[in-house]
Amino acid sequence: MSVLYALTWRFLHLLLGAQRALLAWLRLWHWRVWRAAGALLLPPDLAHQERGPRLDCRLLRREARCRCVQYLRQRCDCTLLPQQRSRERAQLHKLPVHIGLLIGEEQESFPDVASLVLWCMALGISYVSVYDPQGIFKQNSSRLMDEVLRLQKEECSKFPLEYANGGADGADKAFRHLPVLKVLSPEDGKPNIVKAAQNFCQLVADRQKTPADLDVDAFDHLLRSGQNFPDPDLILKFGSINSTLGFLPWHIRLSEIISLPSHVNIQYEDFFFALRCYAGAEQRLGK
Amino acid sequence: MSWIRDKELSLIERLCANILKAGPVPKHVAFIMDGNRRYAKKCHVERQEGHSQGFEKLAETLRWCLNLGICEVTVYAFSIENFKRSKEEVDGLMELARQKFTRLLEEKDKLEKHEVCIRVIGDLSLLPLDIQKLIAQAVLETKAYSKCFLNVCFAYTSRHEMSNAVREMAWGVQEGLIEPRDVSESLLDQCLYTSNSPDPDLLIRTSGEVRLSDFLLWQTSHACLVFQSVLWPEYTFWNLCEAVLRYQYNYSAIQKSRELYSRERSRLQNDTDQAWVQKNMCQVDHSDEEENTQVFQRLMLQCRIEREQRTLNFLRALKMKREGFLQLLCTN
Repeated sequence: MSVLYALTWRFLHLLLGAQRALLAWLRLWHWRVWRAAGALLLPPDLAHQERGPRLDCRLLRREARCRCVQYLRQRCDCTLLPQQRSRERAQLHKLPVHIGLLIGEEQESFPDVASLVLWCMALGISYVSVYDPQGIFKQNSSRLMDEVLRLQKEECSKFPLEYANGGADGADKAFRHLPVLKVLSPEDGKPNIVKAAQNFCQLVADRQKTPADLDVDAFDHLLRSGQNFPDPDLILKFGSINSTLGFLPWHIRLSEIISLPSHVNIQYEDFFFALRCYAGAEQRLGK
Repeated sequence: MSWIRDKELSLIERLCANILKAGPVPKHVAFIMDGNRRYAKKCHVERQEGHSQGFEKLAETLRWCLNLGICEVTVYAFSIENFKRSKEEVDGLMELARQKFTRLLEEKDKLEKHEVCIRVIGDLSLLPLDIQKLIAQAVLETKAYSKCFLNVCFAYTSRHEMSNAVREMAWGVQEGLIEPRDVSESLLDQCLYTSNSPDPDLLIRTSGEVRLSDFLLWQTSHACLVFQSVLWPEYTFWNLCEAVLRYQYNYSAIQKSRELYSRERSRLQNDTDQAWVQKNMCQVDHSDEEENTQVFQRLMLQCRIEREQRTLNFLRALKMKREGFLQLLCTN
């Protein structure tokens, strides 16, 4: 009997795997069709045309076509004009202050993460952190930074970006309200808590503090060690694995965790959809 | 309403349970039982009724977990943040707890039959004294059982737990039991309220919320998280099966990341030991290369043994302190 159960179990998981693969394939296919349609139907110069006020009624039809062009164009390469961004921003009645990008996949793509970072900045999100459980992005953080700067140049974006890793003047940057990027690895999670605990214990050993001096707020203060980085409001988790994989255990207390299937070839619409989900969520804070 | 139901599963449910049991089954599942109040609103009943129905669902879920071979369950019953709710609701919840723990003490035979060990996790001192006493009694009476475990998080938040663990370690340093450099991840693990249980493999949150709300943040850092949109009083056996299925789908990836992390953890511990040994090596400098390595290895070993000895003594003292607190509550 147990052999039969085991066989059924394997079959069930095979089905599940097939279903996931099919969904992933459909998602990719969906974009490919849009891309192909965009390339076929429209001459590229039309797409960059800005929509101004139209006076002639006869042009209405052309305008409709233009709108379609822009829509397709957006879907093709996802370059959005600043005014479109501010319009979209108005659609989101709540924006995260700090967004955490959790890359839980085997494969990592620096250009895609860079464009995610830029989208966040363009929407006015002040703090972005990038995390992966193997610390690959942290090891290659300069490469990520180069990629972000390159993309930024391409988009002629007006959003200056600061890099927070290693800089002691994090508080100063926050004060000036510039968007800040931080690259994190598992070392910033539990080992960081342990380090703060060691420091406190050392103070107790030196008779500068007593155990009773420590409460949640005091420890929170110790953990921040001068950096004025707020807790993440939203974690965008990429990959099929349903886990936070050691991402800042102390700080994710109230973070909404939203999953996206993959960050490779991520489209702006997917990202925007996740932000819309976040805007719809209500926090009761224990009440 | 009893804590564990005797109702058996139907044939089809048993069949599915057996199929799921052919794969890896989580040993420890944590629940955030969210949605009692929304359920009450939906069904136009009193809030308190929603909470009681939520408790009944817990009794049912524990039975299902036993059927599926899950031997440890942790539930988030009351958060420290929940004290912010209206006085009426907090009083109602305390009354519910009072009733249920009294009931628990009445059905000792049932607990004995299933060998259920009950642990209450959280800062008990924030609760009314009579509830503290009831809890202490229930915990002490079932502590010898070891077949299944039910951990009830009451007056709990994870940040509070972590700060408390650091405070305990600082106490150890103050008493001279450990040194600041002995503070490590595994020591912090063992100073948490949950020190006696393994980390949860699966965390289930109902009612469609997608955050952890200060629940087992440290322990679930490599657990499978499953968010389900059903309200807790409407939870069914099939919802539980779906969660287990998702856990199984994630099993190998999570296991891999856990292993990766545990390697990283032992590397960090080794680094700390090495730093200490190197500091001590400076005082005794040998010119001979071979002798140097020998001294280094000897010191490393000595460092590790001494650290383990200190940690062991400290943990024993901590355990005695915690049990003493419960026993004092019972005798008074």
